[in-house]
Amino acid sequence: MYGGDEVSAIVIDLGSHTCKAGYAGEDAPKAVFPSVVGSIDQMDVDDSGNAERNSGSGVDSKNNIDSNKGKGKRKLYVGTQSLGYRRDHMEVLSPFKDGIVADWDIVDSIWDHALRECLLVDPKEHPMLLAEPSSNTQQQRERAAELMFEKYKVPALFLAKNAVLTSFALGRATSLVVDCGGGSTTVAPVHDGYVLQKAVVTSPIGGEFLTNCLMKSLEGKGITIRPRYSFKRKENRPGEFQIVDLDFPNTTESYKLFSQRLIASDIKECVSRAPDTPYDESAYSNIPMTPYELPDGQTIEIGADRFKIPDVLFNPSLVQFFRGALILLFLNFYQTIPGMENYVDIASSCRGLPQMVIESINRCDVDIRRELFSSILLAGGTASMQQLKERLEKDLLEESPQAARVKVVASGNATERRFSVWIGGSILASLGSFQQMWFSKSEYEEHGASYIQRKCP
Amino acid sequence: MEAAVVDTGSKLLKAGPAIPDQAPSMIIPTQMKRMLEDGSSGDNNNSLAEDVTVDPVVRGFVRDWDAMEDLLNHVLYTGLGWEVGNEGQILFTDPLCTPKTVREQLVQLMFETFNITGFYASEQAVLSLYAVGRISGCTVDIGHGKIGMSVHSLYFNNPVEVVSLCDVTDVSSYIAPVIEGAVQHIASRRFEVGGADLTKLLAQELGKSNPLVNLSISDIEKLKEQYSCCAEDELAYEKTKAIICLTVQVIRIGREKYTVGEALFQPSILGLEAHGIVEQLVRSISTVSSENHRQLLENTVLCGGTTSMTGFEDRFQKESGLCSSAIRPALVKPPEYMPENLALYSAWVGGAILAKVVFPQNQHITKADYDETGPSVVHRKCF
Repeated sequence: MYGGDEVSAIVIDLGSHTCKAGYAGEDAPKAVFPSVVGSIDQMDVDDSGNAERNSGSGVDSKNNIDSNKGKGKRKLYVGTQSLGYRRDHMEVLSPFKDGIVADWDIVDSIWDHALRECLLVDPKEHPMLLAEPSSNTQQQRERAAELMFEKYKVPALFLAKNAVLTSFALGRATSLVVDCGGGSTTVAPVHDGYVLQKAVVTSPIGGEFLTNCLMKSLEGKGITIRPRYSFKRKENRPGEFQIVDLDFPNTTESYKLFSQRLIASDIKECVSRAPDTPYDESAYSNIPMTPYELPDGQTIEIGADRFKIPDVLFNPSLVQFFRGALILLFLNFYQTIPGMENYVDIASSCRGLPQMVIESINRCDVDIRRELFSSILLAGGTASMQQLKERLEKDLLEESPQAARVKVVASGNATERRFSVWIGGSILASLGSFQQMWFSKSEYEEHGASYIQRKCP
Repeated sequence: MEAAVVDTGSKLLKAGPAIPDQAPSMIIPTQMKRMLEDGSSGDNNNSLAEDVTVDPVVRGFVRDWDAMEDLLNHVLYTGLGWEVGNEGQILFTDPLCTPKTVREQLVQLMFETFNITGFYASEQAVLSLYAVGRISGCTVDIGHGKIGMSVHSLYFNNPVEVVSLCDVTDVSSYIAPVIEGAVQHIASRRFEVGGADLTKLLAQELGKSNPLVNLSISDIEKLKEQYSCCAEDELAYEKTKAIICLTVQVIRIGREKYTVGEALFQPSILGLEAHGIVEQLVRSISTVSSENHRQLLENTVLCGGTTSMTGFEDRFQKESGLCSSAIRPALVKPPEYMPENLALYSAWVGGAILAKVVFPQNQHITKADYDETGPSVVHRKCF
């Protein structure tokens, strides 16, 4: 039993899009960075790569992870600063496949970066609270526990489900959590602090998918987003500037996409709004355009897309208009490339947000359905879109049974919505009554990793 | 009695009573020499014993607490004229991303060893902003051991004035955006590169061009401070020629004097895979929500010793015209009533301003608070 000292716990939420880490008890995570890493394979670069690697391992030990890290002989670069710098042959990799962790080396390097470089803490002295997806498998949990105890030597650990943490953050023990994150959307009912596993519904449509849709749509209009590294301004005469395109032939496609996505997701966050009624081509054809200034100075106008993109959440069959985005979706999520005809079918089989909510509630016991309807919590980065809450409430009122009183709750502050899982973790780990629930190192040594199932339900 | 304000940098420690429109009364090197019986502090370098130099502050953070205690002893009792038994209130500055344990240890040291009556700690980035009369903005602080960039803002987005600070202090550097007094940690960046690394670079370069001359690190520091400057832009840097400079031994300093400044804008000279400081500033701002971008970038403040290099500001302005962003960073001028060279100790001046507000209003940590809650009270009361 770990009693819990004055030393505060660390809360880490490794999402599919961003990783959030910070001290428990605070109101926002200190370290927020993308949960992808840049990786350079040591094997194929030996001529041009040599100069880079040698210069990289010079003074700066902060940004580079030691290449002794894996059997795979690759150098990993984690964090916004390292990823922001363009390197030859650097691939951008995500540890997740199909929403669950596939590559533990990458997860390890991400945790290392968060703890040692962003928060500047020694993991031996702080208990860790990890947030995990609501439908995590036993094997994944054991792996996580092993990694934490063996490598980082934490004194105590706890794994909490995302939905439960969001529930705590918004102050409820029973609720239906709609988590619209970067990589996927999950609807999970929580009852008295426990997730009802059989009623969890997921869909691959998340913030990243919407960003892809936007990118394809802009490309369709002939607008190319220049990534930050690919241009430079030159001063021809005092006061007169000209954009010069820089060519880096060894930049990987994945890095280019990554840099473009950064800009596209900023556009998406600025301009998109959930429409009040289902999207209709004709109704929105005359919408006034909103301007947005790209980093290279180009100003683009976005009109109907402002409403079309968010509506994909509610009506996935709209996706047929974004054919290219579909391809990216399937490559990233399912890792298979079905025939062209099947794309639209599979995407259409994903349900819209209101349908997912209804389905999830219907899978629960009849007794708690009323309570779930009246506390539907919105969380996640994508949920901080304007008007999303109102639109969801309206759609649910139409689809729900008459007797139910539908109420969608979301915190007013966009930052709180983005980090609600992390905030819930921060609250949980700083509660006095929680201190006896930690899975301590001695218990791990005595019973093994499988004991985690009993300690962290 | 006036509250004391102490700003512990990795190279220089600035301390003095909280009088905002003057320079701090004590600016002493943090580096100490260890004597056989007890530690001596920076000013009196009697080399009676062996020359073991001790750096209590490394890369912005306190590492050697015993040395720190001796140093503070000297500063408070000898330098500021406090009497044992009648200690006053003190305000400390924290660098960006200070771990919680370091803050707690400092509070513990102050209350238990020095028995002070009141304590407050604040982040250097916010204080540097207060010194130029803003509460929001972007700090770029280039220090001796670190560079940091931070954005300060209130939790809720009501940006009134948004300023960016560039603090290039002695041991490390950081960029910090600030919106209405709260640091946006999400967008802050810290680099473990600062004046110390630039000195090493200068030593290397001089060693290459003047192989027969032997210089100590402190001499090179002085040379750096006197002669280094920034070239107008990249092209001008390529073309710099040799210029002779004289000291006791004749040393040729030519291109090297520009190399030091150039390293801040092209870190590849230091062997780092990173962008120049202006590009880093722009990228870190882009992670904050777009409404504030313009206000943050257009109110950038530079601070820290290294930024007082000749030509640094002009080069900064020039680079900001060329950066990959639609909005250009623009520098803020310090108010006229502030002393010259504000950049060197703007965190201290900001601390003096804050001390005048915090202590009279009893928002600081008192001895009673500390006795009741223990060191963790610092996280609740000081942010």
